[in-house]
Amino acid sequence: MLWVDKYRPKTLDHITVHEEIAQNLKKLVTEQDCPHLLFYGPPGSGKKTLIMALLRQMFGVSAEKVKVENRTWKVDAGSRSIDIELTTLSSVNHIELSPGDAGFQDRYIVQEIIKEMAKNRPIDTKGKKGFKVLVLNEVDKLSREAQHSLRRTMEKYSSYCRLILCCNSSSRVTEAIRSRCLNVRINAPSEEQIVRTLEFIGKKEGLQLPSDFAARIAEKSNRNLRRAILSLETCRVQQYPFSSKQTIPPMDWEEYITEIATDIMKEQSPKRLFQVRGKLYELLINCIPPEIILKRLLYELLRKLDAELKLEVCHWAAYYEHRMRLGQKAIFHIEAFVAKFMSIYKGFLIATFG
Amino acid sequence: MLESNAHLLEDYPDLEPPEPYPEEDQEAPPAAQPPPSPDLQFDPEVQIIGHKRSRSDSPDVSLSEAVRPSEEKRGRADDSVRENDEDWLRYSPSQGSDHAVEERVNFVKEKMLSRYASEIDGECMPVTAPNGDRVYAKLNRSEGEERLKKLDVRANSHDLISEPINILFEKLEQEAFTKTLKASTECESVPDVPETPVVHEKLWVDKYTPKSFTELLSDEHTNREVLLWLKQWDSSVFGSEIRSTSDEVLSALKRHSTVAHHQKPLDSKFSRMKRGPKWSNNTYRHSKSMDETGNSNSIQDILNKKSKHIGPPEQKILLLCGPPGLGKTTLAHVAGRHCGYHVVEVNASDDRSTSTIEAKILDVVQMNSVMSDSRPKCLVVDEIDGALTDGKGAVEVLLKMVSAEKKSDVGKETLAKEHPGRKSSKKGRHTTSLSRPVICICNDLYAPALRPLRQVAKLWEDDGVSSSHTGFTYLFNQQLAVWLKYICNKEGMKANAIALTALAEYTECDIRSCLNTLQFLSKKKETLNAFPFVCCWKNQRIVLYVRGREYISKTCLILASLIDYQEKYLAAVFFGFEDYAMKNKINGFSKFDIGSQVVGRKDVSRNVLDVWKEVFQRKKTKMERKSCSSKPFEFNSLYSLLSNRGDGDLILDGIHENILQLSYHDPVMQKTVKCLNSLGVYDLLHQYIMRTQQMPLQVYLPSIAITVNRLVAQVQKPNIEWPRSYQRFRTMMTEKMDILNTWHYKIPPQIARHLSAVSFVEDLISPLLHILTPPSLKPVALQLLSDKEKKDLVQLVSTMVSYSITYKNTKSDVLPNSLRHVVADDLSLDPPIGGFINFKDYTSNHYVLSLAMKQIIVHEVEKQKILQVNIDRHSGNESSSGRHELIEAGTSNAQSSKINHAAEISVKNIQNENNIWEARKYNANAAIVSPNLHPDKGVTDNVKLLNTGSMKKPSAGSFFDRFRKLSSKGLQSDDRTEKKEASLEIDSRPLLFKFNECKIILCGVEVHSFKGIGYVSKENFRSHSMHFSLLKHNGKKPYQSKAKMFKASAIGKLVLKPCYLTV
Repeated sequence: MLWVDKYRPKTLDHITVHEEIAQNLKKLVTEQDCPHLLFYGPPGSGKKTLIMALLRQMFGVSAEKVKVENRTWKVDAGSRSIDIELTTLSSVNHIELSPGDAGFQDRYIVQEIIKEMAKNRPIDTKGKKGFKVLVLNEVDKLSREAQHSLRRTMEKYSSYCRLILCCNSSSRVTEAIRSRCLNVRINAPSEEQIVRTLEFIGKKEGLQLPSDFAARIAEKSNRNLRRAILSLETCRVQQYPFSSKQTIPPMDWEEYITEIATDIMKEQSPKRLFQVRGKLYELLINCIPPEIILKRLLYELLRKLDAELKLEVCHWAAYYEHRMRLGQKAIFHIEAFVAKFMSIYKGFLIATFG
Repeated sequence: MLESNAHLLEDYPDLEPPEPYPEEDQEAPPAAQPPPSPDLQFDPEVQIIGHKRSRSDSPDVSLSEAVRPSEEKRGRADDSVRENDEDWLRYSPSQGSDHAVEERVNFVKEKMLSRYASEIDGECMPVTAPNGDRVYAKLNRSEGEERLKKLDVRANSHDLISEPINILFEKLEQEAFTKTLKASTECESVPDVPETPVVHEKLWVDKYTPKSFTELLSDEHTNREVLLWLKQWDSSVFGSEIRSTSDEVLSALKRHSTVAHHQKPLDSKFSRMKRGPKWSNNTYRHSKSMDETGNSNSIQDILNKKSKHIGPPEQKILLLCGPPGLGKTTLAHVAGRHCGYHVVEVNASDDRSTSTIEAKILDVVQMNSVMSDSRPKCLVVDEIDGALTDGKGAVEVLLKMVSAEKKSDVGKETLAKEHPGRKSSKKGRHTTSLSRPVICICNDLYAPALRPLRQVAKLWEDDGVSSSHTGFTYLFNQQLAVWLKYICNKEGMKANAIALTALAEYTECDIRSCLNTLQFLSKKKETLNAFPFVCCWKNQRIVLYVRGREYISKTCLILASLIDYQEKYLAAVFFGFEDYAMKNKINGFSKFDIGSQVVGRKDVSRNVLDVWKEVFQRKKTKMERKSCSSKPFEFNSLYSLLSNRGDGDLILDGIHENILQLSYHDPVMQKTVKCLNSLGVYDLLHQYIMRTQQMPLQVYLPSIAITVNRLVAQVQKPNIEWPRSYQRFRTMMTEKMDILNTWHYKIPPQIARHLSAVSFVEDLISPLLHILTPPSLKPVALQLLSDKEKKDLVQLVSTMVSYSITYKNTKSDVLPNSLRHVVADDLSLDPPIGGFINFKDYTSNHYVLSLAMKQIIVHEVEKQKILQVNIDRHSGNESSSGRHELIEAGTSNAQSSKINHAAEISVKNIQNENNIWEARKYNANAAIVSPNLHPDKGVTDNVKLLNTGSMKKPSAGSFFDRFRKLSSKGLQSDDRTEKKEASLEIDSRPLLFKFNECKIILCGVEVHSFKGIGYVSKENFRSHSMHFSLLKHNGKKPYQSKAKMFKASAIGKLVLKPCYLTV
């Protein structure tokens, strides 16, 4: 097992990073009154860990006994019926699913399947809780329609069904849903917290972890705890007696974007843009989300850029990302950003150096 | 008929018979009796007259035929015929006094008509109907006039003509004779204009239809090919005696063609035009027809070949295709007639179901007409691609005949040579082979219905002039314009050359459409003007001249003040280029507009490659050089091109794919940015339209491509590639997503639930790949590893198992030879996660394990998996969470199990059968002990069954507790906290396993396999060597009453499957 999974806290008591939140949640649950919950925060901050610990707090160990079910649902959509495939994780007391997987058909999942699940009272009425829990992942990927249909469900079956929603950004969740939930923001852990966690793991594993090395890992992890722990384990595998100068292996896709950025800085021409396009395609093919590519690319470009241009480049990055989110073909917009950057940079070079 | 008669009537308007009835009696069989309603009667009556006149007055029948040579065509021009009729009807009453008489006579019949002369007072005259009825009509001048006025009949108030009827007739005859004489002489001198130029009633298209081969407008090459092909039939159709003449024709043709080659196309006024048809280079085309496009020598070759080979040409069917209006049908007819055939046309208006068409074709190709026209027939199947089902019928029949021909050719070649003409008639209906030329005409060569026909037919594309042949178009437009000018002059219509050129361009060289338009305009007494549409840049303002009016100042004002929609549109288009004009210091544009006068533009869709070419290529024509540029016109044509094409997505993808390969001048990449921005706009717009279903907004999509055209279009020919990368990206991404998702499902939910597919790629994969390939591991035997290394290995294996990763053979070449040591050449990670960091032109610095190491890891992983599966089985639970809970339960019970230590030893000694039962009972107990577990149904059944025969051991519970403990140890061997207790306890105690199949695999080789039940003692988990006692061998019988111990110290792998437990 990876350390990420091995040292994942199982109960609310063991949670170290978001201790306060964990304690609050514990109080909330033990008082028998659980509202709908909306967890949001950046990736790798510990949302799911908190949710799992919370479930365990609610239902005890039985919550950890889950089974995977991949089922095809037949949904009546007006005149025709649609088959929707959906994978759920369920225990006796809770069901976990990602309705965003269905793409544009997510409306039917919310309207039919989630409703169906919410309707059914838990069979085991002798259990501690009189309700069951639906965990919905990636709520921010739900379409507007789906979110609208969700809010009625939330109210109607609230007596015996609680929803725990989980997403990266609450801004893409409609106001109506947010107001029906207790919003729990999960911050990205600070670097000190990451360092502490790494040291805890090091102790458990019996490793000699130099503190500056831990700090470096924490710094490179971009405040992503998962990435920090994975990096630590990678370093451990590559070279055990840690030296503080040890290289921390980078993410390959980030390396690749760095290469692209170098390419862009070297030459600005349609021909080069064409090469860059090929590389961008490579990234997209490997399922790296375009937003992340654009963000990272901007980051890499800014590092190499004259301060004068930074503001303008940032502006255009925001502009093109906005268009990218509105549009469909991400490559058009990323490429347009690269072209824009090339144009600005080239103009700048000509102006400065003649 | 109707139309031609009407036209004849118009020819001699002054000869309208004043009193037709007496004469009508003799010849015209239809009722000349005054009918009840004058309106109804009017039409046929006059028709009869006209008919009669044409027959009687022009004895030269052939001449009258020459006058209307293309009656077949009329059917198609129904509308115009009707129009003509109506025209004629409209002003015919005012033609002369004769009509007045007629009207009056007809009118009079109500009251002034009687069977008996006595009933009419005053003057009367007898009128005899063809059936012999005779009536008397009263002649009353004043009364009749009054009535006419009352009823508002627009008749002249003339009397009966004073001249006697026979004199009138004489006059008429004479005049008609002189007319026809004149016409015939005219025909000889100028064959295109057989009528007097004043005549408008005939469609110009028909009027100027080429009558002979030399008049054909279509391309010389095409014409020659058709003729040659037809001539190849001569030997089989007309017999060998005509061969000599055909040779003559061929040589004449040769001469003609060489002469034509030397001629400049523009020299001859309208006859020969370069139309740019292509010979499609199809491989199956016969070689002899291939090589004679270029040199005239090849005709000689054909001659030589022909003398040797007498039969009909190789391809029995000629498939002629091209856009409408180029004269395909005309060519077929003229060529057919020229070669002495009687052309029979089957077109889309006919019934074309399989049965009828078969009968028809058989009629044509096999029978000779018994009537006067005994020429052999030539079938022209027009519009064969029209309706899918109909066309198919015809195609099927033709194909059947061709294939039958081929068969019979093979079989009875000699017979065919001897009697080529009568072959089919002899054989009768069974072998219906083609013995007459068949010409098929279509617009779309690649229509699906035509696919089989394309294989057998000789074909070419008469593809007219697509505007992609840029220089050519202009030339041809000019030529066509010259010809049109000629016709206009003939018709006395005013039209300037520029307007005609514009017209030709506008219709894309559709001759028919040009002529129809011209005729329509002449009918409206309009002249074809290309109204200059001029835009100037004057005093910092745009000045726009539209139809002589001047519009100045602000855009919106201009737009508001323009009256015409067309004008507004053009102006709006215009101001789109305001910036452009400013920058490029263009002072004005001018454009000749035809669109407002012409009824409609052709709705053609072009190949998508052509569309891209249009977008990327700027036209460089003379026109452009003359007037600074013709931007709006280009805009229009591009716009219609793009919107006609339809699939904007593909077009935009193509633009995106190719745009960066163009070489346009762009120092700071501003153009590129603009282009890509507009592509982005397209994406946004498209997405918006799709989301909100605002389809009307789609009209704006093509303009984006036009922006690109404006920015980057070059004169050079672009090298366009089909857009593949986006599709490739789509498919590959879905592929990789699938890999990720399946992997995601395979990972136990405890781990998988914390990761989304995105975070897999984003965070996990790169470190994971590092973790999976520790450089410290040495590929040595397990026994030689140090404790620390062993621990690392165990850690690695557990990681791999928990992420359900393994290595698998990349090559499936494991040879089942005797040694079985041959393992695959290479091992790669099973979910191919390595691919996710495998970017093009990128070298990751991941360490690669050696093959031996990989093999070791594979074995370890396999083993670990098996152990897990078994533990899962024993716990009676498939989900791994159950396992975890079980482990927890086990550890919590560890203390109690210690107490019962003594009892456990006794358990160890019990009979093997009891052991088996206990093993089962363990399952049952496990289910009972942990109430949260789902009781396994099968196990409970077993318990019921077994409870009857077995005694319950009091120590059973503790035994199984220990057992559970064991399993937990086996799994989490590195769990330090529990380590000591475990090692204390378990050393000497066996584990119980039941297996369906045991394989002992030593270093990858299967040493021994059996079925049975065995103990595995705890120690062995660590050292990976197994002591196990076999209880039951191969399912047949208990091996021994007491467990037999196998010692296999170096067993690498144990494959275990559950067994059945009948003893």
